[in-house]
Amino acid sequence: MTGRADANPATRDAAPATAAAATGEAGATSVRLFGWDAARWRWVAAAALLAAALYAPFQLIPFHVFQLTMVLVYAVALLGLNLLVGHAGQISLGHGAFFAVGAYAAAILMERWDTPYPLTLPIAAAVAFVLGLVLGVPAMRLRGLYLALVTLAIAIFLVPLLKRFEEVTGGSMGLTLAKPAPPAWSGLAEDQWIYFLVLAVAVAAFLLAGSLLRSRVGRALHAVRDNEIAAEVMGVRLSFYKTLAFAWSAMFAGAAGCVYTWVIGFVSPDSFTVNLSITLLAGLVVGGLGTMAGPVLGALFVMFVPGISQEINDAAPGVIFGLLIIAVMYVAPTGLAGLAGRLIRKIPRKE
Amino acid sequence: MSALIVENLVAGYGDARVLHGVDLNVGQGEICAILGPNGAGKTTLLRALSGMVKARGTVRLGGTSLAGRSPDAVARLGVAHVPEGRGTFMPLTVEENLRLGAFVRRGKKDVDADLARIHTYFPVLKTRLKQAAGSLSGGEQQMLAIGRALMSRPRVLLLDEPSLGLAPLVTRELFRIVQAVNEEERTTVVVVEQNAHLALGIAQQAHVLETGRIVLSGTAAQIRADEQVAQSYLGYRV
Repeated sequence: MTGRADANPATRDAAPATAAAATGEAGATSVRLFGWDAARWRWVAAAALLAAALYAPFQLIPFHVFQLTMVLVYAVALLGLNLLVGHAGQISLGHGAFFAVGAYAAAILMERWDTPYPLTLPIAAAVAFVLGLVLGVPAMRLRGLYLALVTLAIAIFLVPLLKRFEEVTGGSMGLTLAKPAPPAWSGLAEDQWIYFLVLAVAVAAFLLAGSLLRSRVGRALHAVRDNEIAAEVMGVRLSFYKTLAFAWSAMFAGAAGCVYTWVIGFVSPDSFTVNLSITLLAGLVVGGLGTMAGPVLGALFVMFVPGISQEINDAAPGVIFGLLIIAVMYVAPTGLAGLAGRLIRKIPRKE
Repeated sequence: MSALIVENLVAGYGDARVLHGVDLNVGQGEICAILGPNGAGKTTLLRALSGMVKARGTVRLGGTSLAGRSPDAVARLGVAHVPEGRGTFMPLTVEENLRLGAFVRRGKKDVDADLARIHTYFPVLKTRLKQAAGSLSGGEQQMLAIGRALMSRPRVLLLDEPSLGLAPLVTRELFRIVQAVNEEERTTVVVVEQNAHLALGIAQQAHVLETGRIVLSGTAAQIRADEQVAQSYLGYRV
């Protein structure tokens, strides 16, 4: 249905731009399938996905709606991590910390100051952005393994810190909050309402990241990733753009953390261990670095594969999860998004 | 009028000093060739000019001092460095590479106009705009690197061994284009080159660098006529 509107000549010119926003991948090829080029197919795919996402909560049981909501939460976090890792070529083993900061910022605002939940999103994102900026200034002078180590340290010291300031954070007990209630006019159940809230945040986040990457700044990030020295002689200030990428990346992670609090209604230090940071990075790499589809595929992987692992072998789900990551990386070294692209190119097509 | 004045430039890597006091004076719109054997410090000289290695001494672009500035600041002041190995952004398309060349400039219309201008110098790039730059041949990548540098509308263009790894025919074509750019846009060029024949063919002045010092300077014609240079770099005796 959504593909039809696209065939309208009036929207033709707008299509490639929007497609780039939805799935603007590096190294786009000019594959043509049934007379439509790759950009148009990506636009169709994004529209179809959105249509399915709007329809799904009316067909699924509440638990599955909850699972899909969590996929969207992770997708926003991975989108942020992707800006840093996939597009700016830096690494972070500590993004769980920014996720936690966003989650706690929202929880504390709601718990201590009775802030209405819609307001917590911009504040949590801003707090994570500023923290990313502050930590990014020293961190982004480092590279490779050194940067990995410093960002890992951020994730490690966070949990004890959260337990320490008990009066504000609730300590080990955490904070329990009321979930956003659906307004009467919507006629939605609580899980559906929260799902649509998170979906709106996710769509906005993807559009924002897409337009960011298509701007002059996005080009600067790609230049830094692909050749630092050449980027510098083009006039790109490395420290500035790396730090900015880190801060944005933290901002998206913080926004994801905030909506996580809306979804779960509870935060505690044990939800944000180093494990979360590692899982986010693994999810992104499995999904596909530097692509727009990567964070979505990675989020699906992070959400559902641990459960599948549990079903395969109840005794050692961690082992199965690890083996599945290795299997994906073996079959698809550029991630699931890269694999999808390769399969599409294999489809025989007419001239 | 001098475009670029260098006095007593000293530079190196850590404790290893490579340049021991280099002087240059390149006139506006001139092509200056730097010749010399491997390890003489030719690449280091260009890096010192563009701020990629720390240097002491005087570097002045018009009236502005470049000494102690970072590479991005030097780029913004109008020095375009085509680094050794071309510095191609491999996964990005040819067009994205070219647009990155104009990173220091504002104004989309001007940049679009310059893209067209680059195409007249390098027609081959026009046919490859949407192709990943990494898929270009070595010669095309060198053309892309020079085209990208020109996108910044530089006052001074620094070229590091443009002939490296290229077939003689391609190299000759490349030098012809550099000369055309120089004549049409009055861009000052400093070119480091092992292929002395070609470099002297387009340059007005030339300097021979050996172990970090300039051992011989003169007009291109003088240097070409010099017996010592002929023996060392031109590969024949006069």
